[in-house]
Formats: sequence, structure tokens, C-alpha cells
Amino acid sequence: MSSKPPKGHFRLLYFASAASYTRKSLDDVPAPLALTDLFAHLEKLYPGIGQAVLSSSAVTLNLGYVDVEDQEGTGGCKSSDATVINEGDEVAIIPPVSSG
Amino acid sequence: MADKPDQDQCIKEDGISVALTHGLLDARAIMNEVRSPKAGAIVLFAGTTRDNFNSKPVLNLSYTSYPPLALQTMLSIARTVKQRHSLTAISMIHRLGVVPIAEESILIAVSAPHRQAAWRGGEEALEECKERVEIWKLEEFGGEEGGVWRANRDGAAGANVDHEGKNGA
Repeated sequence: MSSKPPKGHFRLLYFASAASYTRKSLDDVPAPLALTDLFAHLEKLYPGIGQAVLSSSAVTLNLGYVDVEDQEGTGGCKSSDATVINEGDEVAIIPPVSSG
Repeated sequence: MADKPDQDQCIKEDGISVALTHGLLDARAIMNEVRSPKAGAIVLFAGTTRDNFNSKPVLNLSYTSYPPLALQTMLSIARTVKQRHSLTAISMIHRLGVVPIAEESILIAVSAPHRQAAWRGGEEALEECKERVEIWKLEEFGGEEGGVWRANRDGAAGANVDHEGKNGA
């Protein structure tokens, strides 16, 4: 991936069923965005993607796996230091893999 | 996509090599990669592409990847397996893009002083790869069904390529 997202954006990569559903390999999305808002943002762009793709997918942020939905504190409150996706970050939707 | 068709991508470190390529896989070359005077055994696994899934004919088969992450995961698997089984060396390479039926899509070679460790290490490396490495297989059946993204996790369900994203057969 040689090119970079434009200023004020992060890059969101789609693979396999995610790429088929969006019919794209990537989107550049305005940053910052709370990680917990990512799936809602995608659902707005691609209605139905949540159930069809995201429910069985993992997410990486700058090549590390992150937990998108379980960011709530033990008291059921959203933790105050919830992960934020920043400008220039690379996020990817990772559907179930099938190498070999 | 994120794949770069013209360029092999690999990571090497002491006794370890992991790679992705759009070219043909070479069993002799990967055996030489792990060959050592300290090793009395080399185990080579070659995964080849089948012409059917649950006896449904597969017309075309291709692999796509998230290369930087896939290589990182392959490296992590190689390090763990090498250490756990005291392997002399381990090398794994996966092919991307269209892989014609009956050709190799993955090669794993491990060497060890003795055969038991080599057998076990080789098998474990393959199983870990299939479970974790960020590579996806698209099987095209032809006709109206289109293609299906296979998922190793459950051995069957994948997602159809159509826009509705319905679950595959």
C-alpha cells in the first residue's frame, strides 16, 4: 500500500467478503473516529454489512487486532480511554480466513 | 487490492523464512531453505488446490491477502513452532492470485535433528496457518452462484460474492 490517506482521514481496508460487499478494497474515512463507532459508520455507508460481514469479522488497527464491541468498563459504562482511530491510521476488516 | 502482483514479499530471520508470492511454488527450493547438516529430517507439506467442494465442481480458485499482517502472523507462528519443537529451521510460503487446480497453494518445510519433532512441528505450523493467517480463498463455481469466500473456521460456511452478502452454501 504505497499511497496514504488524505489529510484528516484514516484508511479502512476491506478483504474477502468485506471487499465483495462494499465492492471496494478501501475507503478513506474522516478522522478521528471512536473505534466503537466504526461499525455504525459502516452500516450507514453499506446498509446490511453489519449482519452480513461485520458480525463474523475481526478488526485490526495499524496491524494489531482490536476489540470493537467490548469496550465497556466493568460497570457497564463506556470506558473513558476508549480507542480512537486517528488521522493516518490503517484499519482493516478481517473476515474469517481461509489459507492453505 | 493490497496485493502487489509483481513482487514477492518475505521476512527472514535466523532459521525462519516466511513469504507470499504470485509465482509458482518450488518444493525443492523450500527444502533447501531449511536443509542443514544438523538436521536428520526434513518434513515438507504441500497443499494443493482441489477441483471440488463437497463434490461441487470448482472452476476457478484464487487467494487474496493482507500482506503485511499475513507475513507478521506467519512469522509469529514460525517462531512459536520452531521453539516449541526445537526445530532447526522452518519455512512457509503461500501463493496468491489465481492458483490453477492441482497446483500448490502452500508449502511448509521444517527441519529437525530427528523426524518426530519435524512431523509434529510441520503439522502444527500448517494448522496454525489455516486458522490464523490473513489469506482468503475465493472459489468460483460458475453459473449463477458466483464465487464463495471460504472460511477455514467452520470448514463450510463462507459468504457469497453477491451484493446481498448472503451466507454461502
